[in-house]
Amino acid sequence: MILIAIVIGCILGAVIGIYAPMVPYTYSGYLAIAIIAALDSVFGGIAATLNKNFDLKIFVTGFFGNAILSILLTYLGQKLNVDIYLAAIVVFVGRMFNNLAIIRRYYLNKWPSKKEENKNETEKSK
Amino acid sequence: MKKEKKNEIIMNVIISAVCIVLFAIMFMQFKTIEETDITAIENMRETELRTAIAEWKGKYEEALEQLEENKKSIKEYEQTIEDNGEASELIDKDLQEADMKLGKTDIYGEGIVITIKNTDDYQIQAYDLIDLINELRYAGAEAISINDVRIFSTSYIVQLADGLTLVSDQRVTSPFVIKAIGNQTYLSSSLSLKDSGYIDRNKARGMDIELETRNSIQILKNTSNREVKYMKEGEK
Repeated sequence: MILIAIVIGCILGAVIGIYAPMVPYTYSGYLAIAIIAALDSVFGGIAATLNKNFDLKIFVTGFFGNAILSILLTYLGQKLNVDIYLAAIVVFVGRMFNNLAIIRRYYLNKWPSKKEENKNETEKSK
Repeated sequence: MKKEKKNEIIMNVIISAVCIVLFAIMFMQFKTIEETDITAIENMRETELRTAIAEWKGKYEEALEQLEENKKSIKEYEQTIEDNGEASELIDKDLQEADMKLGKTDIYGEGIVITIKNTDDYQIQAYDLIDLINELRYAGAEAISINDVRIFSTSYIVQLADGLTLVSDQRVTSPFVIKAIGNQTYLSSSLSLKDSGYIDRNKARGMDIELETRNSIQILKNTSNREVKYMKEGEK
């Protein structure tokens, strides 16, 4: 059910994005930061789901809040002539890798035990 | 059970909305980058482009300023050239006039010719000539000559002891032909005033005198040349 919702959302979003008007190059930097922040939220949500402590409110507020905050920070950085967006990228990508590691470990922990079970089963059948 | 289902639907809707937003933004960004990221200039960051533009603007302004300056100086030069041309023209004119006045060139123009001769009754003296020249000058004569000797500002007429008359280093004898360039009417009428005029006065004294008006009189240039030794320009 939720997978269908995700797929439909992705397809609809892609279609909207393709037919949406082009963003001026000047603002594409802000958009990129927003995307990184949103992706970070998504990976965080997946990791939370795997840990079984997923909260929809936290996910949604994090998704939009992080995006908007990172855009504001980038804007401030341009006004201050400091590349604050680099800090945002470092933080978000670092967290993305963290979450990816959590996800990976979860599946790695699952996989060998399954294999062993399978092995045991096959040995038993022999 | 019903509440759980409702919650699930809400969650699905929110998550799909989040997915829509994320993908929409991502694809917009892809499109933007794909369409703008073509050349090196577009790869440059905005700040870099700004500085480059500012630099070029500064250079352009500098060049413009220089151009303006050069144009100005060219104009000035042209002006001076023009001024010089005008000045030299004026000087040329002045010089020509001065030459004419000093008798350095042959001249011609309307005027009168007076011929005076010695008679048995009367020997012409230097002061007769001086008197005549003064009268002519008074009547507005611009150039005068006696027997083709030009009279100008430094000319002199003297009577030598042996009865010879010297005009500007040259001896002249009767008949004296005096040519004067000027307004014919003024010249002739002032000379031929009844009784008090030069002609009547001297005819009464027995001088042979003839007056003739001509439309074109040629007066030759001055041959003698006096050097300037003592006078200097300026005030002391």
